Amino acid sequence: MTLPTERAIEARGAARGSFLRRTLAVGGYPAFFLGPAVVVVLLLFLVPAVLTVVISLTNLSVATGLHKYRYIGIGNYAQITHSPWLVLVLKNTMIYMLSTLSLFNVGLALMLALLTAHLSGQAPGVFRVLWMLPRITPSVIYALMWRWFAAQPPYGTLSQILGWAGVPGANWMNVHPWAFIVALNGFVGASFGMIIFSSAIAAIPHDQYLAADVDGASPWQQVWRITLPRLRWPILFVTAYQTLSLLTSFEYILLTTNGGPGFYTTEVWSLYAFHLALSNYFGNTQFGLGAALAAVLVVLGLAASAIYLRLFRFGELVAAPKIEVN
Amino acid sequence: MQVALEHLSKRFGAVTAVDDVSLTVGEGEFLALLGPSGCGKTTTLFLVAGLYRPSSGRILFGDRVVNDEHPQERGIGLVFQSYALYPHLTVFENIAFPLRVKRIRAGEVARRVCEVAEMVGITECLPRRPGQLSGGQQQRVALCRALVKAPAVLLLDEPLSNLDARLREVTRAEIKRLQKDLGITTVLVSHDQAEALGIADRVGVMQSGRLVALMTPRDLYERPPSRFVADFIGTPPINFLPVTVADGCLAIGDGVPRPLPRPLRAGRYDLGVRPEHLTVAADGDLVGEVILLESLGRETLIHVKFAKTRLRVLAGPDAPVTLGQPIRLRLAWEHILLFEAESGQAALP
Amino acid sequence: MLSLVVLSAPIILMYSWLLVASFSVRITGLVPHGFTLENWRFLGRALPNEASIWTTTLNSLLFAFAVGILEVLIGSMAAYALSRLNFAGRGVVLSSTMVLHSFPSVTLLIAIFLVLRFLGLYDRLAGVILVKLALDLPLGIWIMKGFFDNVPWDIEMAALIDGCSRLRIWWRVMVPLVKPGLLAFGIFAFLSGWNEFLLPYVLLPSQNSQTLSVLMASLASEERFADYGLVTAVSVFYILPAVLVFALTQKYLLNIFSGGVKG
Repeated sequence: MTLPTERAIEARGAARGSFLRRTLAVGGYPAFFLGPAVVVVLLLFLVPAVLTVVISLTNLSVATGLHKYRYIGIGNYAQITHSPWLVLVLKNTMIYMLSTLSLFNVGLALMLALLTAHLSGQAPGVFRVLWMLPRITPSVIYALMWRWFAAQPPYGTLSQILGWAGVPGANWMNVHPWAFIVALNGFVGASFGMIIFSSAIAAIPHDQYLAADVDGASPWQQVWRITLPRLRWPILFVTAYQTLSLLTSFEYILLTTNGGPGFYTTEVWSLYAFHLALSNYFGNTQFGLGAALAAVLVVLGLAASAIYLRLFRFGELVAAPKIEVN
Repeated sequence: MQVALEHLSKRFGAVTAVDDVSLTVGEGEFLALLGPSGCGKTTTLFLVAGLYRPSSGRILFGDRVVNDEHPQERGIGLVFQSYALYPHLTVFENIAFPLRVKRIRAGEVARRVCEVAEMVGITECLPRRPGQLSGGQQQRVALCRALVKAPAVLLLDEPLSNLDARLREVTRAEIKRLQKDLGITTVLVSHDQAEALGIADRVGVMQSGRLVALMTPRDLYERPPSRFVADFIGTPPINFLPVTVADGCLAIGDGVPRPLPRPLRAGRYDLGVRPEHLTVAADGDLVGEVILLESLGRETLIHVKFAKTRLRVLAGPDAPVTLGQPIRLRLAWEHILLFEAESGQAALP
Repeated sequence: MLSLVVLSAPIILMYSWLLVASFSVRITGLVPHGFTLENWRFLGRALPNEASIWTTTLNSLLFAFAVGILEVLIGSMAAYALSRLNFAGRGVVLSSTMVLHSFPSVTLLIAIFLVLRFLGLYDRLAGVILVKLALDLPLGIWIMKGFFDNVPWDIEMAALIDGCSRLRIWWRVMVPLVKPGLLAFGIFAFLSGWNEFLLPYVLLPSQNSQTLSVLMASLASEERFADYGLVTAVSVFYILPAVLVFALTQKYLLNIFSGGVKG
């Protein structure tokens, strides 16, 4: 018993399909698959990145226009270091990053993950949806909600609640801007950590907790000795990732306090760059200076990502493919 | 289609996985590549398939050098150890897949899929998905997929290792029957010597990337070219005894020297004797003590402590032997194997 | 459980407030005064000084869909290449993907603005779409590469032996197998496009090409601040699709972290 070999049909089919295949196979497959992504990213990410550094070396601004600008070398950078606002902006950036990171992005996220891990039924799902709401809410609306929440009486909800406890009302965002900035950014940030930590906790074999019960460990001890050690890498990852996100995020601050109240009270580095370059804070938008500020952040970002690449053993993720031909 | 490997080598960085392997598989022949894990047999198979490119050497299908041909162009079928079925397609579509790629008409596709499915015996599985099948059924589907395009060469990567013992034997016989009926040149890779010996026309033994033996199963069993091969082939494993040769005579320990059938260089050797070539006899040369008895139904395996080693002896089911008793064994001298102690090369036969 | 409720209190309060306010004539704190549908009048009549809500919604929808579909298409192709193809410079592309993701992307707005003007794509929807793609693709490719990595190599090898070209393998074998992950990623990308504010704000200044997010920002400017009713109603209108999409697909979406592979 033999299977018929159908040379003729095969040959015809092969001839049709192989022209495209042969053209692509001559080293063309990687180019075809990567092409669109590479073009888009190169054009609108890489080129602007280089351009930012170049612009930072000029005094390009609305005043000079696109024809009368000059190269001023490190003039912008010198201006930054001599700026009276430098220390304040740096301090603000530090406060912003450290508080949000520790209290909310990691701290609150951990608590949420731990608390929801011990619930059963529909409850964990409900809370997860609830906590994802800030993240999927358009930033403009989210900012608005917080502003109204903190508004002065008779409109602000917070004032109303505090009023029932006898506390006089105020525009709370003006009174404690940092508390609100950290809180509202944190509520969004917490969801990221919450998901990552929840998955990590779910991966811990249940048996370990049973064994701990038999050994007489209290719930707190179990968390301390079983759960938390397993979360070391996720915590590290979330910290690393969110540090970079916080360093460069300013959208919510822009939409709530816009760096105020008053003069640069909550102005962080990235917002400062944005203001100088793209919004009419003082009239003359200075692209060059803004670009210099942005370039500093770029350098920081590069340094940080180099560290993370090393830290997360990037080499392991880049294993060679098992098929050698394309 | 004849398959020839000429001085084939494959290096991955500093590691040489396949080292100067040359062999020819005749038209319609069934060759097994046998060896321990990591010996390079699967790498060799993937080189023939075209998934790896050789570092040096040539691969020929017939008289065509295929080194630069892509796997799609070589006209081979490959059955993976893990079966590698497409989880999102039905069994029918899995088998039809290579035909659809060739743009064969739907009617023709259906005909060929059903024909192959019936030949291999999985017609009732056709509408199901791989996830719903047992291991044995999945393996047959993988076989169908490889056979449906009437390949010139069939390659099998440890096809039986994921099956349970009973199924393994049944499937082994079926694969052999299929291959004989279809007459396709086949290469099978395995680490199980019983499987390789039972199924193939010739067996190539590999060790650390090199081909150390290429013979029929019977020759491999009776005339292994090296100690390694002798040790690897045969269940229960062969017994080894250190012996000395001097003046054309062989002596086990302080025993009486025996003349050899042909002269050999003086020195130390390892004598190999298979368990079935040792018999319990009152006048035996070897004196030892029974330390373990395994009752295997058809026969009994007796473990005997002799000098500083342990000998395994196969005896009938009613062997009058008890644990701990002293025992005398007779050697079947016409069946012994001799290997040079340092090199491991066969000296006798 | 109680502690969770307490922690979640601000969220619960704020969102319920939003909903109630949109239907109230006036609201002080949490207490509504008077039910009305007047706030929702923007559905029928255009607002003064603004384009009709429906044009704006259409812009947002177009943007979100384009972003969702293109990110998945372009990203999955690149992710496949990085996961499965063998080519020189693979390591470089992989590490630059990682590095780019760590970039402070919005600080490039200044330069992006200039590049778009140069390309003639400033104030055009296509331009903003491309920018959003460029900024989101690095991380997206990284995530999708993870999905492709989870498919066993054997299947790819089997498909090659079965005669498929790499393109066919991608389309007929790999993509179907990672579909759950790709779909989840696409939904996230859609939501991200729907909610995007900064890019349209800076790069789409004219009224007709405005997206809902920019419209919201202008409504929220100081003069309109007092008209809570209108602003909350528009907010609910804007938020609703995102919340609905998310609520309906959430179990599915959170799958994205468990590898995204079927079978």
